[in-house]
Amino acid sequence: MFPDGLIHRSPQERVRYAEILVFIAAADGELVREEIAMIEAMMGRAMIHPESRIKIRGGFEQPIPLEQSLADLDPTFAQIVLRDAALVAAVDGDYDRKELTALRKIAKAADVSPKQLSQLLDWVTEGWHWFEEASAFLGK
Amino acid sequence: MLPDTVHKLPREERFAYARLLAFMARIDNELTVDEMAMFEQRLGTALLSPGQRESIRAALKNPPSLEECLADLSGEAGRLALRDAVMMAAADGTVDEDEREALEDISEHLGLREEAVEELLNWTVKGYKWMKEGYELLDTLEE
Repeated sequence: MFPDGLIHRSPQERVRYAEILVFIAAADGELVREEIAMIEAMMGRAMIHPESRIKIRGGFEQPIPLEQSLADLDPTFAQIVLRDAALVAAVDGDYDRKELTALRKIAKAADVSPKQLSQLLDWVTEGWHWFEEASAFLGK
Repeated sequence: MLPDTVHKLPREERFAYARLLAFMARIDNELTVDEMAMFEQRLGTALLSPGQRESIRAALKNPPSLEECLADLSGEAGRLALRDAVMMAAADGTVDEDEREALEDISEHLGLREEAVEELLNWTVKGYKWMKEGYELLDTLEE
């Protein structure tokens, strides 16, 4: 869907990608069904092996510390993670303070400035509007 | 990927939704890695049980007929399935004749307006543009 080559990354990188997304989803202390559906979608899109997905789901209860997942992460890859983390953080309607703190940490690992992070969040908002259009005209 | 309502559907309807996407994925008898990734993404969104996922993956190898898929689809599940079928059909950049015909059949089965598929295709183009912008934005992010 996104032309980002995520599926061509190593299995280990894709697992780390998902672990970070799980951390973000669990960051506000509540894990809603929307967030779980989003994580499952992201794991699907990343074509993560079913057995690895089982381990990753364990993070819903006890997420892997963000610092651990971000250690030595390639900045270019970290940018893809940041983009998808922003999508996950937005799924429950707004950005919680803890989610924003986590996004800033990922942004730092990705060499992304606060201003650029803000642009990325604007882009997420545009995507929301786009997606809602379909519901609007399908409901007519 | 974005806030969706597929996971809110009853379990049987989510299964029917995924079955239709399996049909769409195999409509041209080819399944690229990108199409597979998109299919897996939608399967994830549907929050199917492990058993249902197995059945759906089996359906990819041996796809059901469109009539079989449509028999179990109606209402919101059908509309969401059509929306995502359009996205899947357009994933490789073009919608061929077989795909278009299937999309129109689904729309007709659901009793949607004549221009529904066209509208969804335009919406999809807009969405792919948004996704591309996101990817281009990533290119400009490094300080």
